[in-house]
Amino acid sequence: MRSFICKLLTPLILLLLVGCSAGESNVSQGNREGILHFGNGSEPQGLDPHVVTGVPESKLIDALYEGLTRKNPWTLEPEPGAAASWTFSEDRRVITFKLQPEGRWSNGDPVTAHDFVWSWRRALDPAMGNLYAYMLYPVKNAEAYATGKLQDPEQLGVRALDDHTLEVTLVEPTPYFLQLLDHYSTFAVPRQVIEQFGEATDRFTRWTRPGNIITNGPFRLTEWKLNRRIVVEKNPHYWDAEAVQLNGVVFYPTENLVSEERMFRVNQLHYTNDVPLDKIPAYRAMPDSPFVEAPYLGTYFYLLNTERPPLDDVRVRKALSLAVDRAKLARSVMHDLVTPAWSITPPGTLGYQPPKLFGYEPERARALLAEAGYPGGEGWPGLELIYNTSESHRKVAVALQQMWKDVLGIEVTLSNQEWKVYLDSVSEMNFDMARRGWIGDYVDPNNFLDLYLSDGGNNNTGFSDPVYDEMILERAPQAKTREERFRIFHAAETRLMEEMPIIPVYTYASKHLKHPSVKGLPPNLMDFVNFKTIRLEPVDVHEFEVP
Amino acid sequence: MNEPILEAGAVEQGTSLWKDAWIRLRRNRLAVFGLVVLVSFVILALLTPWIAPYAYDDQNLDLGATPPSAAHWLGTDIFGRDLLTQILYGGRISLAVGFVATAVALLIGVTWGAVAGYVGGRVDAVMMRLVDILYALPFMIFIVLLMVVFGRNLLLLFLAIGAVEWLTMARIMRGQVQTLRQQEFVEAAVSLGLSPATIIWRHLVPNALGPIIVYTTLTIPSVMLLEAFLSFLGLGVQPPQTSWGLLISYGAETMEEYPWLLIFPGAALTLTLFALNFLGDGLRDALDVRGSTD
Repeated sequence: MRSFICKLLTPLILLLLVGCSAGESNVSQGNREGILHFGNGSEPQGLDPHVVTGVPESKLIDALYEGLTRKNPWTLEPEPGAAASWTFSEDRRVITFKLQPEGRWSNGDPVTAHDFVWSWRRALDPAMGNLYAYMLYPVKNAEAYATGKLQDPEQLGVRALDDHTLEVTLVEPTPYFLQLLDHYSTFAVPRQVIEQFGEATDRFTRWTRPGNIITNGPFRLTEWKLNRRIVVEKNPHYWDAEAVQLNGVVFYPTENLVSEERMFRVNQLHYTNDVPLDKIPAYRAMPDSPFVEAPYLGTYFYLLNTERPPLDDVRVRKALSLAVDRAKLARSVMHDLVTPAWSITPPGTLGYQPPKLFGYEPERARALLAEAGYPGGEGWPGLELIYNTSESHRKVAVALQQMWKDVLGIEVTLSNQEWKVYLDSVSEMNFDMARRGWIGDYVDPNNFLDLYLSDGGNNNTGFSDPVYDEMILERAPQAKTREERFRIFHAAETRLMEEMPIIPVYTYASKHLKHPSVKGLPPNLMDFVNFKTIRLEPVDVHEFEVP
Repeated sequence: MNEPILEAGAVEQGTSLWKDAWIRLRRNRLAVFGLVVLVSFVILALLTPWIAPYAYDDQNLDLGATPPSAAHWLGTDIFGRDLLTQILYGGRISLAVGFVATAVALLIGVTWGAVAGYVGGRVDAVMMRLVDILYALPFMIFIVLLMVVFGRNLLLLFLAIGAVEWLTMARIMRGQVQTLRQQEFVEAAVSLGLSPATIIWRHLVPNALGPIIVYTTLTIPSVMLLEAFLSFLGLGVQPPQTSWGLLISYGAETMEEYPWLLIFPGAALTLTLFALNFLGDGLRDALDVRGSTD
């Protein structure tokens, strides 16, 4: 029992001590020493760019590694990263990258084109089990290699012409390809270190531990205390080290939004990962509010396991989706922060508008459920909805649980799981229904639509439609104009939503609390943080008084 | 108790231990208050489905969180659910966990400790080493394992918590029995040819009741808190079902915006814990056999 009471009291006591003592807060100390204290949501699953899939991991990896390109946080345009420049061939199918002449790993070794070739082969190796392998599918033969149809890695469309020249051959001219290169699944990983701790394709070996890991980004890992903090410091070997303004970043796993918000208020964090929903009205009303909200390229939805009854029946899936009053949820539970979603792609991605095939239709939902053999919920076998532990996920789940009960008369039980457990359950399809959010890795509808390819690593629903696959993989890339491409996407997405393997709930908005001393961290559509551009200009705020 | 409560003649009339205790308990005002509070909470919990003003999962999203009003005496939570109803239903779970898990702990702990203490020797050593080993296991891991292996259901939650809470009880009981079995009345019972089981249950356990009861009243609240913690981790009660512990943990999240969501469930739990403590104190005094024969 004592351990429980300690667990409950320790944070409170710490908070009191921190709040009352004259000791220096994280923020003022950080401002002095150039250290950013960053709330990062969950404890990361790992730091291997070819293994992880989550947003908390992506923040860390963006600080530690660097892809061929790096996004500008204001415009989201790809700018030179590990590649200093690139040229396209006439037909835009071959890209030649010149790497940074001074590009170095954090141990001083040069970053070469061979590193990228080796890493891309690793990322695509079927033995690696990389759920993001399909990000590289625009590269010639990548799909065949990743699905085991092609054994010879030499035939992949990526070659090192010399130490600093990388040639990439694409299947089709891919308009968003340069954006992909800022996604961690295309990053270079240190071959030498990985092979020292196991096979190239071993997952979760000790190579990502502090002391072992070497990276090529603006920062390097110095400390990883499980569930407490991860510390990175400026990488002196980084090619553009002079441009890096921070001396280091401390990442905190802040799964509990309420504690995170309190930490922010007493100057323990510069930047929070999220804001508790119920605090939003108060923060909005604050003068000079540290509250930052922005549209976010992401969709919040529930995955339906189409391989398990009763969800193997499309009528049941539709009934569940039609019974959700999204407008009411957005208004009352989410404080008008988000907008209802009716499909997987966020509206307006590069100007693309997804289909809206249905609305809140309780009558039709009941009729569909009755047709499927459960009139008024009679004979309903029960369903379990899993979500990763978080107050906001719980709130959405509780609200939807009740809507289903009121409209359809069916019981859905809830079960929360810790982030890593949840990720495992989802990837092994060990669930009936699972909360899911998908955040754009690059700004293009393709990033959302290729989730539901039959063999997509992040499909996780059992949805499989050869026509859909063909539209996304063959027809859309060959489209001559953007309008034609979007028409194909629209048709494909209509097919997808007619099968309803997911229940779209809302389109995300990002929300953070940002200390006024933090500069160079603009809100953007992808909630992308470029740690390279962040600087600290000390502003003294003793404590944030929320009205 | 300092003053003798019964007159000398009364002892000769042979009042039973329980009647004796009841008379003494009734004179302890705080204990009576505790008993009344507890009994009324239990009655409320039993009658909840009939007396609750709303259904426990009846949401009104447009209403949202509102402070206490005529329609909702204790206000509503962010889903527009009536807080009074939530507390009533939460009390059912919290009280049930508290009593059932403690009863399990009591049964295992008292039997185990009494047997170990009475038999002594090698049996005692083995039994108590087992207790030591279980003590050394991080109990959270033990409960989590139980829940994972056997799946999640409420009854199992009760049993799992009981199964880790009996250890201290066993130690206390063993200590008591070890001192008691040296005494003449036990020797007398042995020479009368009573079986060990009879001696333990008829003579040793009633004499050790004092500390056991005090410890029991301490176990009930700690079990209630443990349930809240497990539910928070996703291993106990899941929404829309609720318990006081969960209500408090949710209320604490929004205590600045909607203080009533913390205050009322907190008050219910606090009142129960006070009542248990007063009652426990009173019972200990009332059942203290030695105190009464002076």
